[in-house]
Amino acid sequence: MKTRSAMTDLKIRASQNVGLLTAIAIFAVFYIFYNLNHPRGFSTAVLIQNSNEVYALAMVAMAQTLPVLLGGLDLSVGAVMTLVNTLASHVLNGTPFEMFLGFLACVAAGAACGFVNGCVVVYGRLQPIIATLATGAVYIGFALFLRPSPGGDVDGDLSWAMTNDLFEIAATYGFAENGEAAWFKTIAWIPTPLVLLILTAVLIWMPFRRSVTGRTVYAIGSGEGAAYMSGLNIDRAKIAAFTLGGLFAGLGGLYLALQTSSGNADIPQAGAYTLNSIAAVVVGGTSLLGGVGTAVGSIIGALVLRTISFNFRIFEIDPLLQPLIEGFVLLAAVSLGALRVLKVKNTLELFR
Amino acid sequence: MKRAFTLSVAALSLWVAGAAVVQAGPKVVSGPGADPGCFAPWNDEIKYFQWDKRDGPHKVAVVNGFVGNTWRIQMIQTAKAYVEQPEVAAKIETFKAVSTGTDVAAQLGAIEDFINQGYDAIITIAVSPEGFDRVIRLADRNDVVVVPFDNILDTDKVMMVNEDQLEMGRMYGRWLIEQLGSQKSGKILEVRGLQGNSVDRDRHIGFREVFEPAGDWEIVEVVGNWDDGTAQKVTADAIAVHGKFDAVVVQGGSTGTVRAMLDAGHPMVPIAGEAENGFRKLLAAHSGDGLKGISIGQSPGMVAIAIKAALAALDGNKMPQLISVPIPYAKYDELEEGKNYWPDLTDNFFTVNEFPPCGVNITAREIMAKDAENTQ
Repeated sequence: MKTRSAMTDLKIRASQNVGLLTAIAIFAVFYIFYNLNHPRGFSTAVLIQNSNEVYALAMVAMAQTLPVLLGGLDLSVGAVMTLVNTLASHVLNGTPFEMFLGFLACVAAGAACGFVNGCVVVYGRLQPIIATLATGAVYIGFALFLRPSPGGDVDGDLSWAMTNDLFEIAATYGFAENGEAAWFKTIAWIPTPLVLLILTAVLIWMPFRRSVTGRTVYAIGSGEGAAYMSGLNIDRAKIAAFTLGGLFAGLGGLYLALQTSSGNADIPQAGAYTLNSIAAVVVGGTSLLGGVGTAVGSIIGALVLRTISFNFRIFEIDPLLQPLIEGFVLLAAVSLGALRVLKVKNTLELFR
Repeated sequence: MKRAFTLSVAALSLWVAGAAVVQAGPKVVSGPGADPGCFAPWNDEIKYFQWDKRDGPHKVAVVNGFVGNTWRIQMIQTAKAYVEQPEVAAKIETFKAVSTGTDVAAQLGAIEDFINQGYDAIITIAVSPEGFDRVIRLADRNDVVVVPFDNILDTDKVMMVNEDQLEMGRMYGRWLIEQLGSQKSGKILEVRGLQGNSVDRDRHIGFREVFEPAGDWEIVEVVGNWDDGTAQKVTADAIAVHGKFDAVVVQGGSTGTVRAMLDAGHPMVPIAGEAENGFRKLLAAHSGDGLKGISIGQSPGMVAIAIKAALAALDGNKMPQLISVPIPYAKYDELEEGKNYWPDLTDNFFTVNEFPPCGVNITAREIMAKDAENTQ
């Protein structure tokens, strides 16, 4: 009896997460395929390179998830990432203590941008998409002010250590016998960005989701009126969601600065990241209508986006056809997740 | 549980096994380098690189960033056409081209991927002039030749290829002085490019440096954004205001500028412009009326020089760190149908694809054949 209920439970959970499961399956297929055909597939070097490439996009996608859960879109995530990127290129150097302060400043700047977004949406009573279109332009303005032309000075050791595997951190900063300790061997191969990604999800996202504020975010997305009538603090949850989004986007920008050892107020790039973040959120199984989905799904979505282009480097595909193929795969991914529509008995359900 | 652990440890050691790398990279040597006619050093202070000679055939990749304008598309087609020319094809085992969009993380990832795949040379148009330190370090460790061109990097740690935009501006100036002959004063129209861009700045400075001291000129400056439509509009406006110019220099959108002159019934005067096919068509048609022009271009064919430079470096030659590609140009009396302009091709086809000092000549037909292949 007990096992049966566990089975049904699993079934229900699976049916609720078709989009996410599809995304995981697509990612797994593409990524394994890529590694099998890569001359150095399944090696640390390839894993490091891939997780470096994914990190910033994954963070921006997580940032985008929160406004989407509320039922809105945040057009400033790319701008926040860019702003923090330019800030980091000024402050991530000097003594370890100075670098730590710089790190805090970057995190705070990202969160502050998100907080401003939240306040404009809540107290300005504006649609998130319009509010963030405006604030995004302001953030890009600040970024251009901080870095009128690309450049900057990020601590070389820090940059190298954070964009490689754990062994390089140990070797650079001289702990665990410079990374040679026996106990360290088992984890030394793990890429740092992968660790950071998992830590962000486990230490920031998961506790938030379980908190009352986090659950309020979901409730608002499902039905703002109902959430209000249930006595939930709507304004606080919205501001918290945007602030957390800003924090995630800021972490993405911080990492980009480490990865490139520089800052660049690149406007087309900010736009590209914003658009890709929305794509990653949708591929990751989060509903644009709000109330359904997770930031972990968006990480998977970002992985799917990146993994498609990984394969272009392995196979003979005409470069001018690559965007077309990428588009088709994304369309297929989103459509597969939406297949449940065909099974719906009462089409009125689609309108809720 | 135990078994699962052993398995995962086995998996770990697999990941780790691929990680060994050897410290290497090019030696810094003194010049002169190989084939200086083609691989001209940017200036006298440029240092030279030398990689260990490696036997071919080689694996070569092109990592493009932004794709979506004619220039970039033609660049990719040119690269494909070049590596299919028999003497180049013999040296290349695999050729791959990807476009990453305007996303520095994706471009860095793609370059790193090709390094990990064991490619010998990677040609790239950098999305950002900064931020490539990490991949350069990895490329050096793995003895991979990375060659940025067109949009190059703010570094001297890597071999790069570009055309000297200052010199291009000077060529504009010298041409107009030559054509104006004994005339030492008059009104000149200068149609500039995209503002805030180093290419626009350098061409402008180069032009002024040569032209201004040569006479008593009134130079009228307008901004055409290297775009036919914009250039046509601003030229029309300038003609309306100033009446008549004695010569015209246009950085880009040259076809538009000449059209505006024709529309306004402006007399045909000496002109220096870019290398659009449309401009050359107009030069050919109207040079008899006085439209004596020179057509100089930033060529998408530079990708071929970058590939050639990479192959030369892999052969163990001494290479300048910053290579100045000979600037391709054609004067109005050198225009020849089907050779350096094509009446049957579109106006925005970039005509300059031949670099005689380098022995690189990719015909329009080869490039357009690539176009046909892609649409089939």
